[in-house]
Amino acid sequence: MSIISTENLSKVYGSGATTVTALEKINLKVNSGQFVAVMGPSGCGKSTLLHLIGGLDKPTEGDIKIEGVSITQMPDDQLTELRRRKIGFVFQFFNLIPVMTAVENAALPVTLDGIKPADAYKRATKWLERFELGDRLSSRPDQLSGGQQQRVAIARALVADPTLILADEPTGNVDTRSGDEIAGLLRDVSKQYDRTVIMVTHDPRIAAYADRIVFLKDGKVVDETLLDRKNHGAAAVTRMIKEIGD
Amino acid sequence: MKLQLSLAARYLGRRKLRTTLTTLAIIFGVLLIFGMNTVLPTMIAALQANVQGVEGQIDFSITNISGESFPQEIANRLQNVAGLRAVSASLNRTINLPADYIDRDPARPDTLIAVNLVGVTSEDARSVRAYAIIEGRYLEDSDTASAVISQTLADALSVKVGESFSLPGASGLTELTVVGILPPNIMPITEEILVNLPQAQEMTGETDRVNLIDINIEGFADEARRNEIQQQIETALGKNYQVGTLTAGDEMFAAMELGQIGLSVFGALALFMGGFIIFNTFRTIVTERRRDIGMLRALGATRRTVIGIILAESLLQGLIGSAIGLILGYLMALGIIKIVQGPLSLFINLKLGAPVISPLLVLFSVGLGVGVTVLAGLLPAWNASRITPLEALRPSQAEIDVKRKTGIGFIVGMLILIVTTFVVLSGQSALIIPGGLFFLAGLVLVTPALVNPLANLFGPIISWITVRQGIGGLAKSNLKRQPARVAVTASASMLGLAVIVAAGGLVSSMTGIIDELMLASFGSDYLFVPPSVMLWGSNIGSSPEFAQDLREVEGVEEVSTFRYGATTTNGQAVSLIGIDPEAFPNVSGLHFLKGNQSAYKKLASKRTLVVNGAFLLAIDAKAGDTIELQTTNGTVSYEIVAVGMDLLNAKVTTAYLSQANLETDFGVTEDVFIQLNLAEDASREAVKTEIWSLAANYPQYKLISGTDYYGAMKTQMDAAFSAVYIVFVFLAIPSLIAMMNTLTISVLERTREIGMVRAVGGTRRQVRNMVLAEALLLAAIGTFFGILGGMYLGYVFVTGIKVLFPLGYYFPVSGITTAVIIGLFFGLLAAIIPARQAARLEIVQALRYE
Repeated sequence: MSIISTENLSKVYGSGATTVTALEKINLKVNSGQFVAVMGPSGCGKSTLLHLIGGLDKPTEGDIKIEGVSITQMPDDQLTELRRRKIGFVFQFFNLIPVMTAVENAALPVTLDGIKPADAYKRATKWLERFELGDRLSSRPDQLSGGQQQRVAIARALVADPTLILADEPTGNVDTRSGDEIAGLLRDVSKQYDRTVIMVTHDPRIAAYADRIVFLKDGKVVDETLLDRKNHGAAAVTRMIKEIGD
Repeated sequence: MKLQLSLAARYLGRRKLRTTLTTLAIIFGVLLIFGMNTVLPTMIAALQANVQGVEGQIDFSITNISGESFPQEIANRLQNVAGLRAVSASLNRTINLPADYIDRDPARPDTLIAVNLVGVTSEDARSVRAYAIIEGRYLEDSDTASAVISQTLADALSVKVGESFSLPGASGLTELTVVGILPPNIMPITEEILVNLPQAQEMTGETDRVNLIDINIEGFADEARRNEIQQQIETALGKNYQVGTLTAGDEMFAAMELGQIGLSVFGALALFMGGFIIFNTFRTIVTERRRDIGMLRALGATRRTVIGIILAESLLQGLIGSAIGLILGYLMALGIIKIVQGPLSLFINLKLGAPVISPLLVLFSVGLGVGVTVLAGLLPAWNASRITPLEALRPSQAEIDVKRKTGIGFIVGMLILIVTTFVVLSGQSALIIPGGLFFLAGLVLVTPALVNPLANLFGPIISWITVRQGIGGLAKSNLKRQPARVAVTASASMLGLAVIVAAGGLVSSMTGIIDELMLASFGSDYLFVPPSVMLWGSNIGSSPEFAQDLREVEGVEEVSTFRYGATTTNGQAVSLIGIDPEAFPNVSGLHFLKGNQSAYKKLASKRTLVVNGAFLLAIDAKAGDTIELQTTNGTVSYEIVAVGMDLLNAKVTTAYLSQANLETDFGVTEDVFIQLNLAEDASREAVKTEIWSLAANYPQYKLISGTDYYGAMKTQMDAAFSAVYIVFVFLAIPSLIAMMNTLTISVLERTREIGMVRAVGGTRRQVRNMVLAEALLLAAIGTFFGILGGMYLGYVFVTGIKVLFPLGYYFPVSGITTAVIIGLFFGLLAAIIPARQAARLEIVQALRYE
């Protein structure tokens, strides 16, 4: 069953002579529990696609359905609630609130949902412990490494038990080793906890952790492939990218 | 320099909203300084006129040395005398009324035996004196046979507006129609009948003649200037005219001068607040631009260049802000004068012209505006120049610096607070005003260290309000992350609110004491008032039997009388008021400045005196001293046991003593003033009838109801104080700008975080409420300090004025309530724009914001 489906999804920025087409007639279906990587060169529309799916932005044309419900015409408050309960976000720059501790940051979506702080922290702690941050619960972001901060951000994305995780260049701001950790973690999230994960990246090595790679170029889907864990290592993905880039 | 300026201009252009807000702070600062200083002299003159008018105070009054009337053209000679604010020529004649004129009953002598006919040129008269019409209207030039009289006289004559009464005159009886009614006369004086000058001239047969010219002069003329003006008047009129000074003026002018100093202090405070706002912005600019600055340094910009960029930016903003501030300041002055003209004209005929632009003030304002801006930019610019290229690429280190500095600031601030508290308690009047400023400075220094504890204190309340939304805690931590900025904002709003609390303290202290005095002097149910209150000696009194008769009336609970004696001590004339130490405190009372109620007991036991403030000034004595009073049988020693005053004798050198001593040493047994209180359960009507019939045998007294007088006087007093508030409210506005500025900066700075909160499921409402909660917290902190500072300032004001007017410090409940309401209201008001802005952020753009 597809958890996400887009239909002729287009996004155009600006008007007149300065018009930029970020996305053009994207038709994409993502099945429940799938780990999808979206790849492509800079400015190909990867992030725009993610923002549209996450309801952070409105398409110029076309439709997006999440679990069969169209979100294109949803009023802001309903959309916000959808984001809070169904979708978890992971950003490149972590976007943790510097004055809050790890557990407070991770609990934010459920706190915003009106759940009592004690319960919210319990839920956040559960995820932080799973991500080996059990001893850093009351550390503030500036006391954590980049990799640790991103793991807090992933815990935050999961705390409300969403079905869909959207990650925008989650490894873009951490070192290689942490990058691998993060990517592995996202794969676990998908496989172990049965969430659908869509991850934007330009790093073939990271993309290789996914089940499926969608290649974007100039706002269009130019190719996609299902990865076989045995045959498709990072090297194979790099090769594919090269081909598309040409 | 070209690089700096062009960079500065581009940076300013890029962050339009913040540039606008900061410029707004400068604009407001300049506007306030320029506008206030343009309008204040006019306002103060008006205020002075107002107070003078209400009190009926005239600077100079001119009469002919013969005492006779003179041609009214004489007044024209004053046209070329500089420094005169208002001139009013009038014809005053006493008209004796036939014995049974009022009630047409020859058996019962009238209490009203004479009235003063006053002929005036209506507008001129209103420029020297206030005529607060309570019913009908004031005289108009075209009126004929029309009169304005007081409520008291209208009651005596049984006339209302539109009705007529007749007066005897040189050409027989004249019918006058009442067109307006003035408030009841507070002091029992000879009633005035105000008519147009030609009418009075006709009635008295003195065509084109007047016998009095009243003059009020420009505001704040010091003694030298007054003498100079008096001399010019004398020269202009020639030797046949005498210039009299009617005011007890000096205390009044001292009070006015104190007022002017006070206003200058407020002006300085406003400037201070502006400086804070600008400082906050530039500090944020530097923090925000760390990367840019680091990059510039990496590319080879020197520290001087970096300082140059920030200073160029402040210079540009200072110039633009000052220019706009000047224009708006002028418009504000114009507006205030327009607005104030209306309510003011109810009291006094004062034409306020267009504000005069003084070139010196323009220079001064621009200098201050640009100067303060550049100065406020200096420290942030210096900090910017310390940024290393590497540091700029790492997360901000600034917080730690701030914490270290707040530690030192806290200690210094606490020391200042302790010292200044001792200063005010010491009562050294010379140190009090600088002490007040230092106290505020101390508070400013202490604030940063107290932001966190206070946020923790008020935070739970906000969290409790917003418990279902999960954002109260976020708002609290947002505030706590920038304690320095919050402190500066809180300081700015503190100053504004401190002024309100202080003003509230001052006004409630002043109204408090005056109210107390009025209640004491007029608070009894009935008063038997002789024709002259302060000149007791000219009154015909009544024998003790009358008071005794009154005591025996069914329903009368207590009767207290004044007996009057005159004496001298050290050659100074002293008015002696004999009271019954037992009855007096029950019916009336003194306001004690030194000592308390127990003084009455002492009065009863020995030869003791309670003296008033005027006595202390006239005779160099203090409580505890023993003085010699002259009696017909030589001198006797009296000990001063307390200092106290009542309103009736406030301005006369007075000593209060027991009636027993007054009889023994001075032989006085006659009552000259009687107050009585009714029993709670008395039938008022029955008692009134009986008192009235007893009073008929003593026509020298006017019987009045104390409550009515008290009410009338209170109304007048309230009107006089309302003007004071207008000026103060203006000074609260910088608090609003400061809070708005900080909140906007705080929203801008956290754009990406707000985007994230929205992305992970925060609704627009939650984001808006988060900013609102932050604003409320900010306001609560500012208000807290404002109240603290204001209570001190208020105490300072009261202590300062005490020298001239005996004020007690009343806890400024109204001031504090006002400050809390205004503070929180301003907090919400300041949050409107930033909260909307935060709620409306486009999530995707916010996430990309750097």
